[in-house]
Amino acid sequence: MEFVAKRCGVKFDPPSIILVYEDRKTKKIRQRVMPVRNFSKFSDCSQAAERLKNNARHRAYLEGVPLRQLERLHDVLRDHLRGRTLEESLASLRLDPDQDLNKLSDEELARKKAQMDELFERNRKRKEDPDFVYDLEVEFPKGDDQETCSWDEDESEDGF
Amino acid sequence: MAGGTSDISELDQEKYDADERVKVICLGDSAVGKSKLMERFLMDGYRPEQLSTYALTLYKYTTTVNGKAVLVDFWDTAGQERFQSMHPSYYYKAHACIMVFDVQRKITYKNLANWYKELREYRPEIPCIVVANKIDADMKVTQRNFNFAKKQGLPLYYVSAADGTNVVKLFKDAIKLAMSYKQNSSDFMDEVMRELENFELEQKEESSDKEENVSKDEKTNLP
Ligand SMILES: Nc1nc2c(ncn2[C@@H]2O[C@H](COP(=O)(O)OP(=O)(O)OP(=O)(O)O)[C@@H](O)[C@H]2O)c(=O)[nH]1
Ligand SMILES: [Mg+2]
Repeated sequence: MEFVAKRCGVKFDPPSIILVYEDRKTKKIRQRVMPVRNFSKFSDCSQAAERLKNNARHRAYLEGVPLRQLERLHDVLRDHLRGRTLEESLASLRLDPDQDLNKLSDEELARKKAQMDELFERNRKRKEDPDFVYDLEVEFPKGDDQETCSWDEDESEDGF
Repeated sequence: MAGGTSDISELDQEKYDADERVKVICLGDSAVGKSKLMERFLMDGYRPEQLSTYALTLYKYTTTVNGKAVLVDFWDTAGQERFQSMHPSYYYKAHACIMVFDVQRKITYKNLANWYKELREYRPEIPCIVVANKIDADMKVTQRNFNFAKKQGLPLYYVSAADGTNVVKLFKDAIKLAMSYKQNSSDFMDEVMRELENFELEQKEESSDKEENVSKDEKTNLP
């Protein structure tokens, strides 16, 4: 890899994705501004992200940037075009364990699931894995020494 | 996803009365992992039938219980609130329920009480398993006692759709429970339904609006 990606960001006007990277040869930290073309509030962010990643001029610089991250940056750009504040936009891309996800729109829910997918994929055992066991059974011993769950502490309020 | 799209009223739910068929439903909040669990259990052998209008997915599964072939329909729906209006038909004739929460999100655990209340309104007697999913994210939760299951006298399974822990066991046990419920049940609600069905049949000779009778039964006769 010629360039080591350090940080990413966005610029709203004109809609651009910014990459801070280190040039391996010169050891210099540099910043690259990549305008996102033909992008509107109706655009498909995953397609746009892919287009940028494969762009002949930017490809080499973006090698170390995961596609998913580029997609999120496009989400932020598109949210802005739809009139959303940066804060709202970032919140929708973050996982808040106390948030009720039952109330979200499909698109918002998909964002949350995309966040969850990172851990899911990391911990995932696939059929191709040498140690894959289809019917994996693990017993978790039950006993009096089990911790009471702190989630049950405010029990009386909820009636269970 | 593969599979055709159709309307819920086109679903013939009378078929679940046949001895060799059972219906198992999944409940739980958005993003607790209901669909991932289904997919982990069925691996690539699944043929989901998507009913997009209701965010309802049916997974068909064939197995043998005590040497008898059984066709299982797993019903999976979205936890999102705007799909909650479909619920009467969702519960209709179900023989067992898998109720899932996400061990990383307390709110999904707290909401079990609501899901369970609704389940019991429609299906007072069917076996129900409580599932603590995503234990791969934090194995320590398996040391914790989740009181909800205990209080309701329900079995609790610690599982992970990601690494597969106890997923197959969960579904196999759910099928067994569904089968034994079906064989032994004298569920009052079922009896009421059966009588009403007969009644409908007699009526039908005069007017034949077949499509409607499933949902009509439920709306007028369930609490
Ligand atoms: N770490 C981990 N993540 C999981 C596990 N199961 C599901 N997930 C994550 O949770 C997300 C939601 O899972 P789904 O199966 O879509 O949840 P669901 O209950 O079907 O959600 P709705 O259909 O929207 O109600 C997935 O995208 C995964 O990233 C698990 O066992 N471990
Ligand atoms: Mg689902």
